[in-house]
Amino acid sequence: MPFFRKKRLFLILIGFIIIVALIGFSLRDRANLTTAEQFVNDTVGWVQGVIHAPVNFVTGIFTNIDDFKDTYNENRILKEKLSQYKGLIYEVQELREENEELRNTMDAEDSIRDFDPIHATVMSRSPESWVEQVTINKGEQDGVRSNMAVITAEGMVGKIQNTSQFTSTVQLITGFDQFNRISATISREDGKDIFGMIEGFDKESDSLLFRIIEESEKDLEKGELVVSSGMGGVFPAGLMIGTVKEVIPDQYGLTRTALVEPAANMYQINNVIVVDRKLTEEKEAETENEEEDE
Amino acid sequence: MKRLYLPLILFLFLVLEGVALELLPDNLIKSDWFFVPHWVFVFLVYLAIFYERENTYHSVIYALVFGLLIDIVYTGILGIYMFSYGIAIYIIHGLRKILHGNIYVTILLGLIGIALSDISINIIFSLVGMSEILWEDYFSNRLLPTVISNLVFLLILYPIFAKRISRWGREQLAGRNTI
Repeated sequence: MPFFRKKRLFLILIGFIIIVALIGFSLRDRANLTTAEQFVNDTVGWVQGVIHAPVNFVTGIFTNIDDFKDTYNENRILKEKLSQYKGLIYEVQELREENEELRNTMDAEDSIRDFDPIHATVMSRSPESWVEQVTINKGEQDGVRSNMAVITAEGMVGKIQNTSQFTSTVQLITGFDQFNRISATISREDGKDIFGMIEGFDKESDSLLFRIIEESEKDLEKGELVVSSGMGGVFPAGLMIGTVKEVIPDQYGLTRTALVEPAANMYQINNVIVVDRKLTEEKEAETENEEEDE
Repeated sequence: MKRLYLPLILFLFLVLEGVALELLPDNLIKSDWFFVPHWVFVFLVYLAIFYERENTYHSVIYALVFGLLIDIVYTGILGIYMFSYGIAIYIIHGLRKILHGNIYVTILLGLIGIALSDISINIIFSLVGMSEILWEDYFSNRLLPTVISNLVFLLILYPIFAKRISRWGREQLAGRNTI
């Protein structure tokens, strides 16, 4: 009798125990991946880097054909917008200079807006539909750490979940749950900004849930921009998150929740920027202490 | 050298799964349907049917190893794919003794195997609390598209690998009785 058949039940039982132990081990809040996992991730990541280029070329051809169809209409709209932007550029430049001057007079060096960008390329996306995760080709060696925000030119796409030496995985905004909140704000004039938290992603309406913290007498309008506020201490301020789609009362009718459509397209991510916030929590605490001392 | 073919091919499929979604057209991905590529598993089905002798269990061991690799690389939760693939391949290995290996049997066993492993994956994900989908929605939105798309992949592989794998099996496992 072969080894397997005799002890079939025994083996399956042992298997169950190992599975439960493994799942329990990986669901724990762990700060770092084990060395073995990092090694596997880096090896697979390296091969993915090789394979990514030809695959991208092939898919690029199809996207290009699609793009051609829309070119005429897009061109017309873009020309209109361009003329508006010209005015904006001068305004921004002036504001920027003024901001710098004011900053110099105040002696403030880093603000919660500043960050160092780390450019990275997306190499693969998890095929499992419950896991919203992509792999990028920069890791700890390039200065990527867990919990850094990840953005594209369009807006925020997620945060770093795990890092290996040469690759890291990004948890997409569409996979955020109540454990990954982003403190966000809608900018209004005269300091009447609306603050709140992005509390997760609702799959049914395909939108982020933005819970408004303060008493929400101020009416939200459709199409208003939601940006990160930097108050959470992890993400820098001013990262574009999305636009308001609809405002609904929450289940108790006390606060209101805005449905926010993410600004970035989660299925067409190629190049991303990992955001290394300059002002970390420790530094922030130090500056606060100094202020108190004075 | 020939012994390395199988792990290398499996590894290639593992890597390709990561770019699989990029190959699908945009409007299919944005629809309510989920297409989950189980290409590694499809190849393991071929191993279980054509490569194995009566009493060898190579495919089960490959299933466990590559399931674990998929867990590490793509889900971050160890054990889910490892367990599901292992069990499903073991069952297929058992069924294979009853049926003779030809294309219809391959399709049938592939269908059973893909459905089994995907259901098992989903059960574990819902136990862990990562999937909150209703079971009716699961069957129509995820199981059906997943099984169909993977069966298409299985049919594409048939002319390339069926004969080759059984030849490798004869060469490598001749005269062996156990693992």
